[in-house]
Amino acid sequence: MKTTRTPRRNFLLAAGLGGAGAIAAVATARKPVPGAKTQAAAAEPQGYRASEHILKYYKTTEV
Amino acid sequence: MTAQAAAAPVALHRVLPPEEAARANFYALLARLVNAPPDGALLHRISGAGPLEAAGEPDLARAWRELVAASSVMDADAAAQEHEALFATMGKQVVAIYAGAYTGAPAVEHPRVRIRADLVALGLAPRPGATEPEDHLGGLLEVMRVLVGGGAGRDAATLAEQRRFFQAHVGPAAGRFFAALARAEPANYYRKVAALGAAFVALEAESFSLD
Repeated sequence: MKTTRTPRRNFLLAAGLGGAGAIAAVATARKPVPGAKTQAAAAEPQGYRASEHILKYYKTTEV
Repeated sequence: MTAQAAAAPVALHRVLPPEEAARANFYALLARLVNAPPDGALLHRISGAGPLEAAGEPDLARAWRELVAASSVMDADAAAQEHEALFATMGKQVVAIYAGAYTGAPAVEHPRVRIRADLVALGLAPRPGATEPEDHLGGLLEVMRVLVGGGAGRDAATLAEQRRFFQAHVGPAAGRFFAALARAEPANYYRKVAALGAAFVALEAESFSLD
């Protein structure tokens, strides 16, 4: 992980995102995307996943 | 936990710098509030959250402070009614929740087609059984969460990948979506959500322009 202080990182830290623990305290309470199946792993995002089957399907729909 | 989940190998994830973790968490919270109304537990958690740094971005800090205050007096039933009034998909939506409505959606090369192709390139796809199209803004915010923080079977994306997806599919549409949400007549609690979303998306757009 790059740890040098890039201008972008300085910008985000100056914006207050470095100490935004308040967001972390609430952001883990998620609900599934409408229509998505409930997942067992609460830490995983609800709407998207990597899936070979689905990836193959979407490959067929590329234009 | 399913047997499959129990048997899954332990995955080691890189620790995100705090500002990147905060970005992922903002995306997660906004996606959550777009996808579904807050339940009582979420309202309670938001209402008990502390402020953002006073010396930080004033629009973001103010929007967060006002959402925290609104969450302390909002009840879940009222939030559910408001969410339905704003985003109910039966008939014409008061506030369109699909990116294509804000970026122009020609019959050919619809944004969904491009999003679908980009998701494949990023190794992501909607979960089986998901019924919402790919340009659902709640889903797009969730994709950004995954790209920033990792998850869904992949590590965090590079900054270049994040920027590309944001600028191509999220930024312009989300900015207009939150502006429309802020103006919508049925919006009350969601006006605060819109302010937070608008401030955060503006911050993201600016930060991506710095590199």
